[in-house]
Amino acid sequence: MTPIPMDQGLLLAAALFFVGLAGVLARRNVIFILLSIEIMVNAAGLAFVVAGSRWQQPDGQLMFIFILTMAAVEVSLGLALVLRLYHNFRSLDVDRVSNLKG
Amino acid sequence: MSGQDFICLLPLLLPAAAAVLIMLEISVYRSHAAACILTLAGIGAAAASLPLAAAYGPRQVTSLLVIDGFALFYIGIILAATFIVAILSYAYLRRVPGQREELYLLLLLAAVGAGVMVASSHFASLFMGLELLSSCLFALIAYPRGRDNIEAGFKYLVLASVSTSFLLFGMALVYAQLGTMEFTRLAAAGATGGIIYQAGLGLLIIGLGFKLALVPFHMWTPDVYQGAPAPVTAFVATVSKVGVFGLLLRFFGQVGLLGHAHMFFLLTLIAIASMFAGNLLALRQKNVKRLLAYSSISHLGYLLVAFLAGGPLGTTAATFYLVAYSVTILGAFGIVGTIPAPGEAAGGREADAIDDYRGLFWRRPWLAGVFAATLFSLAGIPLTAGFIGKFYLLDAGAGSSLWLLTLSLVASSGIGLYYYLRLITVMYLRPESGAGEEAGRPAAYPWAASLVLAALLMAIIWLGVYPAPLIDAIRRTVTLP
Repeated sequence: MTPIPMDQGLLLAAALFFVGLAGVLARRNVIFILLSIEIMVNAAGLAFVVAGSRWQQPDGQLMFIFILTMAAVEVSLGLALVLRLYHNFRSLDVDRVSNLKG
Repeated sequence: MSGQDFICLLPLLLPAAAAVLIMLEISVYRSHAAACILTLAGIGAAAASLPLAAAYGPRQVTSLLVIDGFALFYIGIILAATFIVAILSYAYLRRVPGQREELYLLLLLAAVGAGVMVASSHFASLFMGLELLSSCLFALIAYPRGRDNIEAGFKYLVLASVSTSFLLFGMALVYAQLGTMEFTRLAAAGATGGIIYQAGLGLLIIGLGFKLALVPFHMWTPDVYQGAPAPVTAFVATVSKVGVFGLLLRFFGQVGLLGHAHMFFLLTLIAIASMFAGNLLALRQKNVKRLLAYSSISHLGYLLVAFLAGGPLGTTAATFYLVAYSVTILGAFGIVGTIPAPGEAAGGREADAIDDYRGLFWRRPWLAGVFAATLFSLAGIPLTAGFIGKFYLLDAGAGSSLWLLTLSLVASSGIGLYYYLRLITVMYLRPESGAGEEAGRPAAYPWAASLVLAALLMAIIWLGVYPAPLIDAIRRTVTLP
């Protein structure tokens, strides 16, 4: 099996990262925003795995495990807040969930 | 790890242990006072262990953390700010319905996260500290569960997560290029440069810029400052900023970022934009918390001047300014959080509109005096901590011949004077007859908050009149390799 070149791996990770970023900016539904953030975070994780395989070190995969843990924490907090948001605003549209201005 | 390693880590281990203790205590018996006292005891014990840890330092504890004078001094600032925020929260939460004890758990854990960040010497510990801090902040901001709190919490969650992904991607790129994640070894390997490494550093700056609310990445700040309960806003403005700025000083100082000409240029632009945008946007604000949010953007811009100046002088100036700014902003949000809005029952709206402060001097002269002192300090009027801090920033900037930055600092502070003084004038206006007057005698002010505010007022004036001991202490302990 030929190893995947680092450049191609990083390019894939960068593409995923921008797909996620575009989703955060364009989507109006809070659930989809959380999903897009997940894609961004995991793109960074993929980049770590690619980098780790280039140097033949376990560090990249270790960081990926940390990132998975962090993503789980963020999603659980995020969904808890989404429940409260829906309770308070009766909507999951970010344009309606916007009282704070000035 | 040896016993000495554990002694060095005591300032981080003790608050974490206190958090576990409070969690157990809550499950047995809920008591707001007990949770607060345990928190204060935990922080006090951690502060008492600082000299002990210093005796064994400087010391590299595994490859993740380094406990040196710099880390211990910044942990000291973080612990002191958390102590004050805990007392202010106690006064604040007594007016708010619902369960209160968990807030202290989150405060302690967030303080541990910030402490890990300033002591980190590896990307992994940096990331863990940052996440521990941010995840606690999401919950803290949304804690009282009102409409605005939830909205602010969610906004912070989205923007903090996006900025964390930028930071992570930047770290991955740096790692891909250099093959190490330890700061000291990055410094040795970083001289070779390379396009992937530069891109990684750029992404790291974006990620940290979000956390520090520097200008192109500042959009979240006013909403979060306004929506969070006032003591938590004070926490966001002090502990999280001190933690991230400490990290910035250590990491970019060691990596030698300022050697790259275009990175230096980029940061200069960010600093100037932050100073002017923060001060100009604050001019039109009618909400005190939003006004202080914009003012914090400009203050972080001022701090970047010291960071860009670099060297021991820059580090000393930045550290002193962080202390002065923390003391001042804790006082300001302490007042905003504990003053009842006129015409509102306890537990109602916070007094955050500028109109709520109309005639405050005639109703509560002492509070108005303390608030005026904090505003003078933010504006940088002589005899306050803010003046000496700004003086050191200018000194550092001029010492490194950063004339453009130094001039921007002076000019934008001039703009800032206007809105601070406007707020002060409003306080001394005669209240309109009838409107704005509280019915009957004003309710007693919580004594714990009064004590804290008195102490902060003394600290502001003391640092403004006689800063030499603190400056000496910073020079002796806060040194970066």
